[in-house]
Amino acid sequence: MSATTLAWIVLAAPMAGLFYNLIVGSSVSRKHATWAACASVLVSFAAAVGVLIALLQRSPDDRQLVSTGWTWLSGGQLHEGFSILVDPLSAVMLLVVSGVGFLIHAYSVGYMHGDREEKRFFAYLNLFVFSMLLLVLAGNFLILLIGWGLVGLSSYLLIGYWWERPAAVQAAKKAFVMNAIGDVGIALALFLLWGHTHSLDVLGTFSAVDSLPGSTTTWIAGLLLVGAIAKSAQLPLHTWLPDAMEGPTPVSALIHAATMVTAGVYLVARCWPIFRAAPEVSDLTALIGVATLTMAGLIALVQTDIKRVIAYSTMSQIGYMFCAVGIGATSAGMFHLVTHAFFKALLFLGAGVVIHALADEQDIRKMGGLGRYLPYTRTLMWIGALALAGVPPFAGFFSKDQILAAGLARADWVGYLVFGFGLAGAFVTALYTFRMIFIVFHGEPTSFARTHAEKHAGHGEGPFSMIWTISVLALGAVTIGFLELPGVSHAMRTFLEPVAPNALEASTSQETLASLLAVSLGVIGIGAAWLLYGRRSDAPRKVAEQTAPLESVLQRKLGFDELYDWAFHRPAVALARGGARAWEGPVVTGSMDLVGATGGWLSRVLGAGQSGLVRVYALVLALGLAALAAWFMAGAS
Amino acid sequence: MSPGIGSWITLSAALFSIGLAGVMLRRNPLVILLSLEIMLNAGNLLLVAMARYLGNNEGHVLALVVMAVAAAEVVVGLGLIVALARRGSSLDVDDLKGLAG
Repeated sequence: MSATTLAWIVLAAPMAGLFYNLIVGSSVSRKHATWAACASVLVSFAAAVGVLIALLQRSPDDRQLVSTGWTWLSGGQLHEGFSILVDPLSAVMLLVVSGVGFLIHAYSVGYMHGDREEKRFFAYLNLFVFSMLLLVLAGNFLILLIGWGLVGLSSYLLIGYWWERPAAVQAAKKAFVMNAIGDVGIALALFLLWGHTHSLDVLGTFSAVDSLPGSTTTWIAGLLLVGAIAKSAQLPLHTWLPDAMEGPTPVSALIHAATMVTAGVYLVARCWPIFRAAPEVSDLTALIGVATLTMAGLIALVQTDIKRVIAYSTMSQIGYMFCAVGIGATSAGMFHLVTHAFFKALLFLGAGVVIHALADEQDIRKMGGLGRYLPYTRTLMWIGALALAGVPPFAGFFSKDQILAAGLARADWVGYLVFGFGLAGAFVTALYTFRMIFIVFHGEPTSFARTHAEKHAGHGEGPFSMIWTISVLALGAVTIGFLELPGVSHAMRTFLEPVAPNALEASTSQETLASLLAVSLGVIGIGAAWLLYGRRSDAPRKVAEQTAPLESVLQRKLGFDELYDWAFHRPAVALARGGARAWEGPVVTGSMDLVGATGGWLSRVLGAGQSGLVRVYALVLALGLAALAAWFMAGAS
Repeated sequence: MSPGIGSWITLSAALFSIGLAGVMLRRNPLVILLSLEIMLNAGNLLLVAMARYLGNNEGHVLALVVMAVAAAEVVVGLGLIVALARRGSSLDVDDLKGLAG
């Protein structure tokens, strides 16, 4: 089969799973429904592998295929087809989305067991996978925007999945509103694009970019960037991601770590012709990445909820990816996206095993010494953490160092900023990751952990479906990095080069320097974490006392929530209240009340004449008749 | 020699006045209904008299229509009165003013 046929299958399979669960889901057993959902994504993954093979069989310059299903919108000058674009960039994303997506579907079979509305959960997951694949495959910006909106919707549905929890509903709303800001940005970018090129076709637009006036390109790129930072939870539209951890853990792993939040990186990588024509916006992308990776890393140091630690770490790692695509190292950014999908999904799902074992407790202060109850999970979490901290030979090492080396190769102030803060970030990353690992898995178990873990002891570490899926992810976190072995192979870069060329080429010495510094800082970070948290001394308390003001600022997440509350929420509420007082009450309600009151008054006045006495009515009739008769006679004479 | 048209009009007006007085003064719904019939038939009498006086048939036709309508009206009216009597309500129209405005 051709690559495009396979790509249509990739897209159709989760949709079929969704409709299956929607239509017959309520009349089949839970096992049947959940496995139907998993199977649909597995079909999707198999077809994605087929797409990769089909692309590899073609010559490197001939790997950009467009397939138009039908003319979707037609009117006036607008003729937009429902088209998909299959090229190395989308193939990589297809593999990540459907592959990690399948593992997380399978994991959810165990994790969500016993939930009241599992079938709804799996239907939503299928919807998400479909939307994400639609976004990735879009050959037309309109289709991309649809996918973009649909992933926002499914994210909203899944964050608020436990609708009986007020916090989950609030978090879902927050995510939706923040994402809507990004959607508006993209929609405006598309208006501009269409206004100047009269086409929304991805490839067609790219070939027209060079003929656009410079300021227009800057605006388009800037508005696309607004969409990207909202979806990828970068500064300043990042506040929704930590709250999104209210959703079930598999959702956090799939949507808020591995796939959806990386859509912004994909968008910038996909639209590189536009971004490269707008260098200011590209620099801004990198600077936002720098700011986010630093801020999120620092906040992660003081979080006490295990999922929030990983959530801030996700923001920080996506910051690295933004740096990469911003400075023009597209393939490094995409590579970090792929490795991150594996080790971050691994960390989230490992955290899910812990949460599962401790009866839904997420506070790391109540955990401790879990390594002796969950030894296998501890090993896997260590793999994930080492990959995140960038220790060789785990995946994060290869991808993070490419980004840092690209920063060096860029050799201007933006590049050096990326390099410097990236290195500092490597230290912070190792510190917060191993803070979590040491607190959760090492030391003496707390009484809370002991009680729950022993109650749980007879059941192994978790359902089989949870254990084998994180094992596969761990395998990925160990091996996926070898796609790009410095100086030996550049499989990823070579594959992506024709469609997303790098603007930078790091020399071997730059790569070596970046690797050496990053690895040593990572190891120092791990050591510092061990000194502080691994030994169960009173060191953390002393440090906390020394840095109390800083810590309280970090605890409040640098006050972004308060700032937005103060800047947007309160004025809006005040406006609504004032409007209600000054306009709605007296004018809108008042005029309606006046109509009612007039009617009531009229009826009281007229009703006074209605005595209910037949003879009175007859008398009035007779008098009327007499008056008429008198009038006739007066007229006659 | 038949009476002139003036006599018929006078008779009709007298009947109408008697009926009207009955409707206004009596309290028993049955009697009010009877008085109403008297008023209607006063109208009929005038219609027929005028038809003969003017020498055409339209008044006769209209009188027949009034009779048919009056018959229907009596059916409804008597039905109401029987229903009221069965409910045990008093048969005094002055007491039946629950539908007053």
